[in-house]
Amino acid sequence: MVSSVLICDDSNMARKQVIRSLPEELSTDVTLATNGLEALEVLKNKHIDIMFLDLTMPELDGVGVLQNLKENNSTSCAIFVISADVQPEMQSKVLELGARAFMRKPVQVDVLVKNLQEHGFL
Amino acid sequence: MSGLEAYCGEITDKLNCGILLLDVDFKLVMWNQFLEVHANKKLTEISGQSIFSIFPELPQRWFERKVASVVQLGTPSFCSWEQRHHLFELPHTRPITTGSEFMAQNCTFSPIKKNNITEYICILIEDVTDVCYYQSMLKKAMNDLALSNRIDGLTQIFNRKHWEDCLAQEFARAHRYDHKLSLIMFDLDHFKLLNDNYGHQGGDQVLIELAKNVTSMLRLGDVFGRYGGEEFAIILPETDINGASELAGRLQKSINQANIVFQKNCIKTSVSIGVAELDKTDNHYESLISKADVALYKAKSSGRNQFCVSE
Amino acid sequence: MPFSLDEDQLDCLQELINVAMGQASDQLARYLDTFVFLKVPNIELVNAQEFSKSLTSNNQSTAVVSQGFFGYEGIRGEALLVYQHKDSNHIADLLGYDPDELSDEEQLIDISSILTTTFLNVFASQIENQLSYNAPKLLTSEQDSMSEYLDHLSFSWDIALKVNITYQVTDYSFNCDMILLIPESAIIDIKTVIDRILEAL
Repeated sequence: MVSSVLICDDSNMARKQVIRSLPEELSTDVTLATNGLEALEVLKNKHIDIMFLDLTMPELDGVGVLQNLKENNSTSCAIFVISADVQPEMQSKVLELGARAFMRKPVQVDVLVKNLQEHGFL
Repeated sequence: MSGLEAYCGEITDKLNCGILLLDVDFKLVMWNQFLEVHANKKLTEISGQSIFSIFPELPQRWFERKVASVVQLGTPSFCSWEQRHHLFELPHTRPITTGSEFMAQNCTFSPIKKNNITEYICILIEDVTDVCYYQSMLKKAMNDLALSNRIDGLTQIFNRKHWEDCLAQEFARAHRYDHKLSLIMFDLDHFKLLNDNYGHQGGDQVLIELAKNVTSMLRLGDVFGRYGGEEFAIILPETDINGASELAGRLQKSINQANIVFQKNCIKTSVSIGVAELDKTDNHYESLISKADVALYKAKSSGRNQFCVSE
Repeated sequence: MPFSLDEDQLDCLQELINVAMGQASDQLARYLDTFVFLKVPNIELVNAQEFSKSLTSNNQSTAVVSQGFFGYEGIRGEALLVYQHKDSNHIADLLGYDPDELSDEEQLIDISSILTTTFLNVFASQIENQLSYNAPKLLTSEQDSMSEYLDHLSFSWDIALKVNITYQVTDYSFNCDMILLIPESAIIDIKTVIDRILEAL
């Protein structure tokens, strides 16, 4: 069964970089969101297996999304954070809030693949 | 060593600026001829020593923190003579006398990396003694120029514009903090006649002497300016009407008694003075001037050579 | 404007700046031994004349630290960090010095140099370049020299790229605008690299 993917980032280029790095089997069911609020909307209405989440976004940022999902316990989707904000405190914070892994921008194909493998998606 | 690298040593020795290489423990690894000559120490004798023992004048804590930023961040850091005149006490070789016996320096701290880790810190020391000297001269000239824009050429006291600026400030301050402020305005009596009798040069001489005389009678905070051709004004901060009146009396007397020597003549003069104090009804400094002016006019029409106090 | 960027190019530039900002903040945070809170840097291209005027006409006292940078293939420019006066206090604390160890000016210059060079270094590596820097210089709005200084830069700059950075460092929060003044030749080169990046996507 094909896993459904949600990419949430305010930058068009960043979204494209993720798409480009996705292995083929994960490229068929991809939804895009431009900020945290949109992402939450998508998650409400559609079943998503994997979400790639940026942190610095307007409206609702990545941490806001993670907090919201954690409080409401409303999703079983696996969240991978891809961000420019690479400070160790931020990395541990997102993991505490339920993200599976943290990846630096710009995203590297091999790093992405490795993380997906480690969490059972490939 | 390739052909070019062999020349590097020679080139660094010919440079007219200091190059110093430190390791991350602040030990001197190498320096060039410029430093060897100016510091008057042999590299062979001090190589491997701590930079702080070679140059004990270095502000150690500051220096360590500065170098730390270079090492950790891998970016260059700078120190300009404008913030610190010099870091290393090296004598300068300029024939001109400057304010310091030491060379003014601009220093650049650069990271030397291997595998993206900083192994050494290169310090470049530029002699900017000339720049420092000429910049100071320029600054002084500009200050003098600014000052001359405030001074009346003939009498060498403040010109009207600057005096009024001062009044505006003093007024605001007195108003804000509810302090006392008084104003004296005075006018030379029969000045036109004086000019007719002694010529403009005589008139000028009178103005010059008058200004000197009055200046000698004022306190440090009083602001004296030339308001018009033969009109003068004094701002008296922290002074009430009594104090101002007392001064006005002394001024009137002193000016009247003075003998101004011009060519073979002895010129006598007098002034009419108006005195006013700031009160609650004064919303602008102009109204204070107005009050003093009215009082001055009264002094004039009451026979001159006297002072009059504003009601 | 002859040097305007289209939507994709602007988006790409914004992303390059985000990444540079993120890494620079991380380096800064390690150096300051604290956490730096990052906001989305807001970027805009501003008209050269308007910008010059806005700097010198501001009634509030502004402090500007200016630092020239230059690299390969004609990439060069002047980075200005513009602070409102109230923000430029208590920086010594932030830098790890005692307040009397260095003057206010020196503190401002030091932190500006750190912000500018760490950011530009990362940015440069993303556009496949490497930069060198001039010594930073402090200009204040009180001096008339600011507009003269901008007029007499060794290149005629055509674009002002304004990146508004807000740094929040634990108890301190200070705001400054980083303005990159870039001449035509450099913008063309940056555009080429951006297009190359976009093409690869």
